[in-house]
Amino acid sequence: MSNGPFHSIYIAFRIAHKDLLDFWKAKMLVGTFMLMPILMMAMFGSMFPSTTGTSNPYRNAPMAMVLEDHGSLAIQAGDQFKDIASSTGLFKVRDFPNYESARDGILTGSVKGVVVIPEGFTEAFNSHRQATVLITVDDTNAQMGAIIYGEASSIVGAISDNLGRIIITKMGIASDPSFVIEPISVQRENLISSTTNSFEFLAPGFMALTVVMGTLSGLASAISREKEQGTMDGIMVAPISRNAIVSGKMISQTVRGMIQAFTILGLSMVLFDVRVYGNPLLMVGVMLLGVASFAGIGIIATSIAPEQETATMMMLLLQFPMMFLSGILFPMDQLPVWLQWIGKALPLYYAADALRKIVVLNASLNQIFPDAGVLILYSLVTLGIAIPVFRKAMTR
Amino acid sequence: MIFQLEVGCRLDESLKSLGVLEGEPMKPIITTHDLTKRFGDFAAVDHINLEIMKGEVFGFLGPNGAGKSTTIRMLTTLTTPTEGTGQIDGFDIETQADEVRRRIGLVAEKLILYPRLTAVENLMFFGELYGMEKAQLVARIDELLRMVHLENFKDLPTGGYSSGMRQRLNIIRGLLHDPDILFLDEPTALLDPQSVRFVRDLVKELNANGKTIILTTHIMEEADELSNTVGIIDNGKMVAVDETAFLKGKFKCETLEEVFLELTGRTLRDSASSRVAMRRTMGRV
Repeated sequence: MSNGPFHSIYIAFRIAHKDLLDFWKAKMLVGTFMLMPILMMAMFGSMFPSTTGTSNPYRNAPMAMVLEDHGSLAIQAGDQFKDIASSTGLFKVRDFPNYESARDGILTGSVKGVVVIPEGFTEAFNSHRQATVLITVDDTNAQMGAIIYGEASSIVGAISDNLGRIIITKMGIASDPSFVIEPISVQRENLISSTTNSFEFLAPGFMALTVVMGTLSGLASAISREKEQGTMDGIMVAPISRNAIVSGKMISQTVRGMIQAFTILGLSMVLFDVRVYGNPLLMVGVMLLGVASFAGIGIIATSIAPEQETATMMMLLLQFPMMFLSGILFPMDQLPVWLQWIGKALPLYYAADALRKIVVLNASLNQIFPDAGVLILYSLVTLGIAIPVFRKAMTR
Repeated sequence: MIFQLEVGCRLDESLKSLGVLEGEPMKPIITTHDLTKRFGDFAAVDHINLEIMKGEVFGFLGPNGAGKSTTIRMLTTLTTPTEGTGQIDGFDIETQADEVRRRIGLVAEKLILYPRLTAVENLMFFGELYGMEKAQLVARIDELLRMVHLENFKDLPTGGYSSGMRQRLNIIRGLLHDPDILFLDEPTALLDPQSVRFVRDLVKELNANGKTIILTTHIMEEADELSNTVGIIDNGKMVAVDETAFLKGKFKCETLEEVFLELTGRTLRDSASSRVAMRRTMGRV
């Protein structure tokens, strides 16, 4: 019987193998486990639509048009708005007799916004003054409101541009009308060759979240469960290193987390058109670092929790705020500064950030090094505390 | 010269090789010196001094919450003592825990089995924890499964086993690495009469082949039938350690149960010690 470091490594893998075999035999558990990332991606992915292309969820949104001015230019502008709205499929425009009735339409939900061409529109043009168009949107859904406002005003902008060109031509100015209307134009140069969608933001974050949280709560409940059912005694009474026991549990939970994470990535690629630009090995490396940075916390929880249920609850308590604070569901910059500080104190932020840079931007090891460094530091500190706590708790 | 015992021969050669030396005085294989375990202010085990001889069946008795399980947990290296020392086969339970672990087998009251895994998968896993070679382990598993008549069920998940089958498997799990000393905690609790008889006969057989057995039980007739020596613990202290027959004579009792009640009283045990024990078994171990 040997008991060297190689034997300990073998034992760690043997414990992991046993855990995974035990897991694999629980077919319903495996099914639920695989369904989880699919649901997560489908739900959260659809929750955050992008404003471009076909993924706009407010296409053909009902829109009210109120012509308070009945001059020829006002009618012409209204018609142009309707043409552009229907040809681009952005809005279905209906005429309303006045602003009040259109506003009622928003309140009853029959329209999402109102475009008003106010009294004096034509006259302003005729007397060479700037005319105004009013836009009101349904503010009960801030995100939808912003998208609809943006699209309606861009249609008005396009109409305005066209009119501008006609006016400039009529004025007989020799140069290119574009130069007068918009002397500087902006062109977007993407870091990557295609446009990003919200899934490209979400997928790496979810991968990090799944691996880290799956491992964390899996580790806590796996150790607690074995303690409760008594099998941990059978392991502890064997002449093996205590570290091998913890490592074995970490390995099995990490493998489970990785399977889920790559399911998320695979699904995102197939269903949601996410493209991976980075190195898969680097992705695995970052996820492993994410796991290591959290494993200590999981081990401490399982050591201090009196039973499995408490250990699982403790992990949920940590998981919930992390989902919101670590830039998984939405960019962290949207949070107030003090919440950003809390988010940045949690290692998940760094794991998600590094993973996103690798997946979307093809970042190299050097470029993600600051993130990786924080994760390594976290791992060393938390595991350094956790291992002695675990040893002590197990022989209490 | 090795003293060979004649037994019903279902056991393998390795079990037989553990005979005691003829003519040699009995020597202790387990000793404790002021072994103590406290949980906060409460002393679950309070300065106990034990000597358990090689080759004997030691019946370790006591009311609920008396300190039996905590003592067993300390002797099996699962809990560290607060005070005092213990040696198993000359090795210290704290400082030489791995040496101790190689020499002991634990058959705990809670089954040490994974219900989703088959008998063979369970036994292979635990056997490998003892560093046993694969081929050797496979042969050993076959042998032990035959010994407890489970060879035809070896590839079925143990969750589907009856209580008796599970306990038989639980016992051979503790025997995989052929330990000198076997700790049996309530081995016949909740079993049918057939299984109880089988387990008791098995204990006798193992002992006849040289294994030292520490048997914890609440069934006094079982302790009476199987043990050479009994130790009774109450409120964390040993109140008697002697040969069964001697104790009966000393207290003028016909049965061990009478001796037990004489020594530990008839009051129901709802003391703080049970609460501590409960909290501990709920996971604070």
